Amino acid sequence: MDFSRYNQAEQAQINAMIEHKQMKDFLRLYSNLVQRCFDDCANDFTTKSITGKEEACINKCADKFLKHSERVGARFAELSQQMAPQ
Amino acid sequence: MSFFGGNGMQSQQAINPQNIAMAEQELEMVTDLFNRIVDSCYTKCISKEYAQNDLTQGESVCIDRCVAKFFDVNTKVGEKMQQMGQQNMPK
Repeated sequence: MDFSRYNQAEQAQINAMIEHKQMKDFLRLYSNLVQRCFDDCANDFTTKSITGKEEACINKCADKFLKHSERVGARFAELSQQMAPQ
Repeated sequence: MSFFGGNGMQSQQAINPQNIAMAEQELEMVTDLFNRIVDSCYTKCISKEYAQNDLTQGESVCIDRCVAKFFDVNTKVGEKMQQMGQQNMPK
């Protein structure tokens, strides 16, 4: 994703757009992660509060997903660069 | 707020809205591809047992291969669609 072919004013606007999208994406990541960890971990409805086991599960769930996302990001960037060398 | 640079104001540059739209579309495509890869590869590679906080070696390797495969599938499907598009082109 190389935007250097656009002029400076356009690039400024594009950068603002990128920032806006990144924030939107971050919020999306957050709500997806909450849903995922809830679906996978919160299964004990004999009580209102989160059990110790559920809490441990949620910790691991969040950690795993974020690490996974990071790794995918790294591979994605490598492969994108390989595929579209400019 | 766009000016054509012919009126002596040197630092004003024209913003072509089409260029912005194109850049936005490209960004959308890339972001969408990334999110799909994250979701698919999570389903395929990570078990839901959550034994530990870190990725296991097996999961890490699986993720690497999964991303590479996804890109390959992406390319192949793109080629296929191009082929089909050409076939449907009128004489």
